[in-house]
Amino acid sequence: MGFLSKTAICGALFLTLSNVAASDVVVVVADDSPLESLSRARLADIYLGRVHRMPNGTPVVPLDQQEVSAAHAKFYEKYLGKTPAQVKGHWSKLIFTGRGQPPRAVPDAETMAAIVADNPNAIGYVDSASVDRGLRVLPIE
Amino acid sequence: MHPTNWRARLTDPVSLFAVAALAVLVLIWATTFSQVSRERVAAVESAKSLAADVAETYEAQVVRALREIDHTLKLVRYNLATESPVRVLANLRHMELLPPELLFTVSILGADGKVLATTHPLNEERQPRAAFVRLVRRNSDITVSVPSLDSVANEWRLFFGRPYHDGSDQFAGVISLSVHSGYFVSGYEQGVLGAESVLALLGIDGVFRARRTGNDVSAGEHVSYESVVPDVAPTRADAVIARNPWDDISRFTVARKLFEFPLAIVVGLSESEQLEPMRQRVSTYMGRAAIASALLTAVFGVLGWVSWQLQKTRENAVHERIVHAKRVEYLAFHDNLTGLPNRALLSRSLAEDIRVSRREGSRLAVMFLDIDRFKNINDSLGHDAGDAVLRAFGERLRTVIGRDKTVARFGGDEFVVLLPRIAGRQDILRALDKLLGELNKPFELAGHEFRVTVSIGITMFPDDGEDEHTLIRNADITMFYAKEQGKNNFQFYSDDLSSDSLEKLSLESSLRNALDRDELRLYYQAKYELSSGRVVGVEALLRWCHPDLGVITPMQFIPLAEETGLIVPIGRWVLNTACLQNVAWQWAGISPLSMAVNLSARQFLDRTLLADVKHALDSSGMSPNQLELEITESMVMQDVERAVRILDSLKSMGVKIAVDDFGTGYSSLSTLKRFPVDTFKIDRSFIRDLTSSAADRSLVEAIIALGKSLRLTVVAEGVETATQAELLRRLGCDQIQGYHTNEPVPEDEFAAILGGQSLAWSRN
Repeated sequence: MGFLSKTAICGALFLTLSNVAASDVVVVVADDSPLESLSRARLADIYLGRVHRMPNGTPVVPLDQQEVSAAHAKFYEKYLGKTPAQVKGHWSKLIFTGRGQPPRAVPDAETMAAIVADNPNAIGYVDSASVDRGLRVLPIE
Repeated sequence: MHPTNWRARLTDPVSLFAVAALAVLVLIWATTFSQVSRERVAAVESAKSLAADVAETYEAQVVRALREIDHTLKLVRYNLATESPVRVLANLRHMELLPPELLFTVSILGADGKVLATTHPLNEERQPRAAFVRLVRRNSDITVSVPSLDSVANEWRLFFGRPYHDGSDQFAGVISLSVHSGYFVSGYEQGVLGAESVLALLGIDGVFRARRTGNDVSAGEHVSYESVVPDVAPTRADAVIARNPWDDISRFTVARKLFEFPLAIVVGLSESEQLEPMRQRVSTYMGRAAIASALLTAVFGVLGWVSWQLQKTRENAVHERIVHAKRVEYLAFHDNLTGLPNRALLSRSLAEDIRVSRREGSRLAVMFLDIDRFKNINDSLGHDAGDAVLRAFGERLRTVIGRDKTVARFGGDEFVVLLPRIAGRQDILRALDKLLGELNKPFELAGHEFRVTVSIGITMFPDDGEDEHTLIRNADITMFYAKEQGKNNFQFYSDDLSSDSLEKLSLESSLRNALDRDELRLYYQAKYELSSGRVVGVEALLRWCHPDLGVITPMQFIPLAEETGLIVPIGRWVLNTACLQNVAWQWAGISPLSMAVNLSARQFLDRTLLADVKHALDSSGMSPNQLELEITESMVMQDVERAVRILDSLKSMGVKIAVDDFGTGYSSLSTLKRFPVDTFKIDRSFIRDLTSSAADRSLVEAIIALGKSLRLTVVAEGVETATQAELLRRLGCDQIQGYHTNEPVPEDEFAAILGGQSLAWSRN
């Protein structure tokens, strides 16, 4: 119960802060990730569940933020050109027809940063202001 | 209509084209409709099949999704037995045993409905209402909420719930799983289903949990469950075409109750969308058929028109030929002046009428009409007037007799009327009465009225002849008899008419034409001088070579010629011909002969005699003293003074005169002395019995003596034997003539006789 309300309060706070900062969302990978850059189309393929591996065969694990987070909506609008509703519709169809599962949603940006920094195959997105050590911003062309 | 007309109609090219065109049209449209019908059936079958396939897939997807949801509920319930709600959700999330949070919200509520733990603490809208908690509490099975509207996300939301119990099996709360309604219809593929089909999840309470058509997702409407979902669910759903009550669109619909869940799936494929490709193909077929029909109609129309024209042209040509042939036949059988049947057609009609009469045993009359004094009309008013009279006469005749009987123009002014099927004279008299009454009415010609009369001869079949030739000839003869009876009357043929007079009538009719038709001939008989035995003269004897009767002697026709006056032109011809012939022989080298020509009484008294003789001499160039004209005693005795004048005139021209048939007349010697004659010809009747009868011999002696005393030449006629000739020589007769010397022969044979003699002479 305490966890729940704490999480809710943190999320709300975070949302407020990021909105105020009007900061940008960036795609991040671990420092030791072999990825140098990514095309916009491939990024969309990865996040919409069409591609699970890089061309060289290494698996790629996308991570998502909570639907209610500001970064979620920004990311999908900026990099995939889709509204959250469209993303939801897309995954509804894939899940319902049994053809895929959406990226795992982490509880918050810190968790996202921690997991990505820890996993060279992971890919995530965070507010540009919170790119921590161990993360590297992946240029999207 | 007549059957042959029908057949003709059916086989004429125009009808054939029409029938063929119709047949092809029927074929085209039958094929088209059959194709359309097959297409329609196939399209419906295919749509039904597609609907069934889609329904099966959809059912499987829904059931799997629901089981996953129920599985999650059961999993949470299981874990709640050992862990707190918050821990349960944290552990399950950590183990990734919860459904994706992007869509699904899992919550654990207490018995009072308070949220104890949830995957979405910030989303109030994703938590169930109190009513749902109460509902779940009463239901040991899975509970499905009615849709509720999430006003934040602006979407319909469904809640699935199961109750959980504490260790003492008391109701402890509710596990809720929430997802937006659209999830259950997210399998709608526009590419397959189009914009008007439907996928829906319907509660058995008749409330739609989710319904999607195109991109429109809705939920919450009520329908009558029973009207949508059939009671018994077959193993494979068959689609039915149904007008869906919620949006009034007709669809191939499959609705099935789901096993284990209080829900049914509804799949509907829009009928109009599914059948659209078929409709397009159908309209293509129809369009092709219509174009083909139009082309066909045009082509057959043109062909039909052309062949109709051809046929018409052909028919016209045939018609013209027939008209022409009829015209030719008409002309061949009709007189073109009066339009009446001509002689040929008359002959035909009469033959036919005779056949009918013979078969029926009835009588038939032939009337031969001749207009009296028609020649006068022609001579005084001209030929055009004559033709007009003939036309009017013919027309009147035809009107009176009736068009059903034969009225023919026989030739000239002669007409023939046939009266078939009569009983006897009474019928003929009745017809004649009417006929003469009509014919006696005046004709109008060039503003003048004048009347004509007719002479009519009538014969009857079979009484007066058995064949058409005899009937017409006898009618003709009878008509002449009527003329002789003073004209303007009719006569029936009968045996009372003497055969002589018939013969005469018959001869007269043809004698008229004898000169024109060149039927007269001169035969020649030599006169021998008894002292020298040489031919010194020749007598020209007239013969008529009749085409039917053969050679006719003058005895038979000269009286007739005298009577009719035909003797004058005939005599003129004889004179001319004889003189020309004599000159021709002389030119041929035969020594000059005297040419004797007989004169008839009428000819002798004719005013033109002297001119005729002079003309004959002048035109032939024959010397007058070579011409000897033979006359009879009776001719000169009628009017002695006149006869003497004529004979003197002839003598003064240098022509010789012979008295023919001498001894048969009653001329007194004193009178005889007055006539300037040169020759006596002793009648053959004295010569015939000369050798047997002393009286005849005395008479001949006397005649010879008389001749000698008058210094005349005496010729014996009819000498037939050498004995007669010898006796005559001894009696002092100058010349002989008769069969003993030669029978009368045509000029070429006579030339041969003379040739032989001249040859004999040159030997001597």
